Amino acid sequence: MSELLGRLLRSPQGAIGCAIVALAGLTVAFGPLLAPYSPEGLYPLARYQAPSAEHWLGTDQYGRDILSRLMVGARATIAMAFTATAIGTLAGAVIGTTSAYLGGRADEAIMRTVDALLSVPSLLFALLIVNLLGKSAFNALIAVGIAFTPGMARITRSVALAVRKQDYVNAAIARGESSLYIVLREMMPNVIAPIVVEMTIRVSFAVMLFATLSFLGLGAQPPAPEWGLMVAEGRKFMHLSAGMIVWPSLAIAAVAIGFNLLGDGLRDALNPRT
Amino acid sequence: MSLTFLLRRGGLMVYTLAVVSLVVFGITQVLPADAAVMMLGENATPEALAAVRERLGLDQPVIVQYGRWLAGVLRGDFGFSLRTGQKVAPVMLEALGRSLLLAALSIGLMLLIAVPLGIVAAVRRGRLADLVVSLMSYVGVSLPEFVTATLAVLLLADWLQLLPATGYVPPTEDPVRGLKHLVLPVLTVSVILVAHVSRMVRSELVDVLHADYIRAARLKGLDARTVLFKHALRNALLPAITIVALDVGYLLGGIIVVEEIFALPGVGRQLIVAIQNRDLPAIQAGALIMAATYSAVNFLADIAYAALDKRIQYE
Amino acid sequence: MTPVLEIRGYTLDYALPKGAFRALDDVSLAIARGEVLGLVGESGSGKTSLAWAVMRHLPMNAREAGGAIRLAGDDLRGRSEAEMESIRGRRVGMVFQDPSTSLNPTLTLGEQLAEVLVRHRGLTRRQAWEEGTSMLGHVGLKLPAEMMRRYPHEASGGEKQRVVIATAFACQPELILFDEPTTALDVITARQILDLFARLQQETAVASLYISHDLAVVGGVACRVAVIHRGRIVEEGEVRRVFAAPRDDYTRRLIAAVPRPDRRLASPAPADEAAPPVVEAQAITVEYGRPSLLADLLGRRRRFVAARDLDLAVRPGEILGVVGESGSGKSTLAKALTGLNRFAGEIRFAGRRLTGARDMDRLYRRDVQIVFQHPDSSLNPRQRVAEILSRPLKLYGAAAAREIPGRVAELLEQVRLPADFARRYPHQLSGGEKQRVAIARAFASHPKLVICDEVTSSLDVSVQAAVIELLLDLQRRYGTAYLFITHDLNLIRQIAHRIAVMHRGELVELSTVDEIAHGPKHAYTRALIDAVPAPVG
Repeated sequence: MSELLGRLLRSPQGAIGCAIVALAGLTVAFGPLLAPYSPEGLYPLARYQAPSAEHWLGTDQYGRDILSRLMVGARATIAMAFTATAIGTLAGAVIGTTSAYLGGRADEAIMRTVDALLSVPSLLFALLIVNLLGKSAFNALIAVGIAFTPGMARITRSVALAVRKQDYVNAAIARGESSLYIVLREMMPNVIAPIVVEMTIRVSFAVMLFATLSFLGLGAQPPAPEWGLMVAEGRKFMHLSAGMIVWPSLAIAAVAIGFNLLGDGLRDALNPRT
Repeated sequence: MSLTFLLRRGGLMVYTLAVVSLVVFGITQVLPADAAVMMLGENATPEALAAVRERLGLDQPVIVQYGRWLAGVLRGDFGFSLRTGQKVAPVMLEALGRSLLLAALSIGLMLLIAVPLGIVAAVRRGRLADLVVSLMSYVGVSLPEFVTATLAVLLLADWLQLLPATGYVPPTEDPVRGLKHLVLPVLTVSVILVAHVSRMVRSELVDVLHADYIRAARLKGLDARTVLFKHALRNALLPAITIVALDVGYLLGGIIVVEEIFALPGVGRQLIVAIQNRDLPAIQAGALIMAATYSAVNFLADIAYAALDKRIQYE
Repeated sequence: MTPVLEIRGYTLDYALPKGAFRALDDVSLAIARGEVLGLVGESGSGKTSLAWAVMRHLPMNAREAGGAIRLAGDDLRGRSEAEMESIRGRRVGMVFQDPSTSLNPTLTLGEQLAEVLVRHRGLTRRQAWEEGTSMLGHVGLKLPAEMMRRYPHEASGGEKQRVVIATAFACQPELILFDEPTTALDVITARQILDLFARLQQETAVASLYISHDLAVVGGVACRVAVIHRGRIVEEGEVRRVFAAPRDDYTRRLIAAVPRPDRRLASPAPADEAAPPVVEAQAITVEYGRPSLLADLLGRRRRFVAARDLDLAVRPGEILGVVGESGSGKSTLAKALTGLNRFAGEIRFAGRRLTGARDMDRLYRRDVQIVFQHPDSSLNPRQRVAEILSRPLKLYGAAAAREIPGRVAELLEQVRLPADFARRYPHQLSGGEKQRVAIARAFASHPKLVICDEVTSSLDVSVQAAVIELLLDLQRRYGTAYLFITHDLNLIRQIAHRIAVMHRGELVELSTVDEIAHGPKHAYTRALIDAVPAPVG
């Protein structure tokens, strides 16, 4: 494990990705404790302020401190995105592994259906599910999780099939091992690594998708300090204060870049050949 | 490419559309406990609820509802909008035209930028140009469309006043103003695509440039240019066809957001309006049209790939 | 007379993260017109680096530390890239190892031949195409005009290699580098390519550098041979002299490791021919390709019979060799016997009839073990050697839990690996070491039969010899029977008691090793034996 971390930190992508994701993780964990102001406290006298010593990133249309809102909102954006991705990955992994294991016609039927579901763009899928369940942050989480499932199922299956073809699995079959042993002990450890890489990269996509849903008014609802929602609200006051849209936009982009870099770094670090 | 392949691939598309129609219909009309209440809200009068139920056939068994709806869809009839009372199909078709224009321009711009960037990055692998392209693509894939759009509006429309922030003028009416209104949407949609496709082109080309037959071509005395353009590029760009087709999925998602932000009356905006108003027939039509577009593009891409790649012999 | 190629004191390093790696160390050699110099070495010896150095096509991290490479007197090291482009393909040709990867899959064979003629001889495309067609006829292709229009995937391996050879000879170069040109081909095809090489060599009097790991092949084609080991030429001389009286230690070991049918390694066959077989295959048939609804509807059934009606009995303690070219069905047989393939027919084992993987119980699994070709793939990369070896012990209850570490150490010792290898992961071992671990795993359960599926073909000659010696030693100690599958006829004639010859899914001959030596019954066996290069000396 420490060896993996060492390899990860040696590549520039891995190091920068790790730093950004660690910072994001700390903000998710301690943001509300460290935030200098209340994210929902209204200060009518301090509206549309430019960055200053008191308000590092300025204030918004109600005089709320933008930095505090970003720090508190990290949970709403990153933690939710991470959970949604985890749900999608888990569901996809179960479907994908089952399909690969069953093989034959069952595999074909499952995969054709997964392919069919992939033809509905993730955002559209999420929109339809939010439409069904109603607008709320929790429903958006479920929607993103479900929208990610077909894609993860496809990836898991292809990884599992590649592993399934390896001779160490054949050797285990020829040795007379049980299916359970083969799946858990021989295949799983080799399947997990690429899935983790894929999942990491998808978290960045989930952050974006989640913020987009909130931006469209279909995810988190005001006055929640969700980053996408902050951009949507700030748009009306663009002329008065650009900071209201620039800072949350940068936060979203930075976190997305961080997970992308970390994913690519992990891919290299997990490859035993390099 | 054999007849069997065409039949198989065509059958696959039909199956895809069947599954998608089931999913769309299921999520919108069947799964909600009471679609009528969901549409009109808790406070609706019983008469209004009954009227909607009858209009959508919600009193019928599910299978009948689906059959009727599907029969309508196959005739090009998506029913009447609950919001405007007009037929959905003509409205959606008109909107589709605008969305396809936006999509085509975006893909065109993307190819124009992404392919050369990918080639430069691959050829200059590990050098400064590669690093710059790689950094740009990391930033590009990490910017959601609404962020790009908002920042672009802030910069180009609000501060520099170069372009109109929102609205749509049909290019057939006034080409100059029409295109001006399309610049920001097209730019916004292209950013993620450029980032993603240039990365793919780079990695495909890097792989191909390491292939034995490329070394063999160099060792036959061919110069680097000939080897790149005659031997490498074709093999690298062929798989890119299918990757671009898969990216149409992202593109459609991006179009939904961009049309909403720039008030561009395409399928995406229709869909958002329909979702906000719980206009079931319109939601169903919009979702199905998007998925059908995606599968049609992928169908064509697979056919093109099979026709161009001499190696692949589909059963 | 100036030699066509002269290399003097050439030294090459690769810059690696861990420091410089010396790939070639003070290499000197010379090839005259009409001469074939064989360059023999194992993988990593630097032989291919030398070819790249001559071609001036080195990887980015290559650092040349001195020496000269002269083509007919002029030093290639001083040439610019543009100058080299007009030398490559015109004055120096090259033939590559695997024709299926060295030809561009999206260009026709004709195009890939003609472009060289256009580039170097200034022909028009039409002239080049005509010239190319006649060249393909000259390298023995039956329908040259048609072959010109084909894509690589529409031609066989042998046909493709003929096209590559025609391309190398196209501009009447002074020198041609051959980099293992027959390694990727089947035995009989390889023979034909070697014959073609000999003919063209005679006709054109080109100077050839023939690079190979296979001493037998080099002995057949070269006039002189240079042996390269860890970047140094350790010995050079007339082929016959080097093979008959090698002066260098490494050369001696290398020559000793070459399988030669006349030097038997195995102990005599078990005397008791009447003993009941360990495992008996009866009418085993394996079909690949699954039925598809659409194919049925269109009336096209694509079933491929990989093995047809195989009857084979392995006697206790014998080594039964199975030889054949790729696609002959020999590995299919191994997979059927271990339940990795569906099959029709039955397997008889301990008085029972097995008709599928379901019938293979723990007893059968314990007694019939398999070792695969690629140790990279057959050892789980995420398990330590200790875990890999302890698994069969636990599975078959061969040892109590507390005895397992001791038994793992014994197993390692049995295959001559140090006990502390138990803590290593497979990627920390060399190819030969990995294969030893795989063998130890197979022997953990004291099986009656071990199926060896091309177990040495991904290993270097000297490593192969050591692994074979180990296998024979284990066989003597435990009386284990082997079903030894290989494409190497020389090797199998050295160790097997009986040999089964397979061709296109069928068993064409099953004879004792003496019968094979004195006159095989089947014409295909005859062709196979004739095609195999005989070791020199």
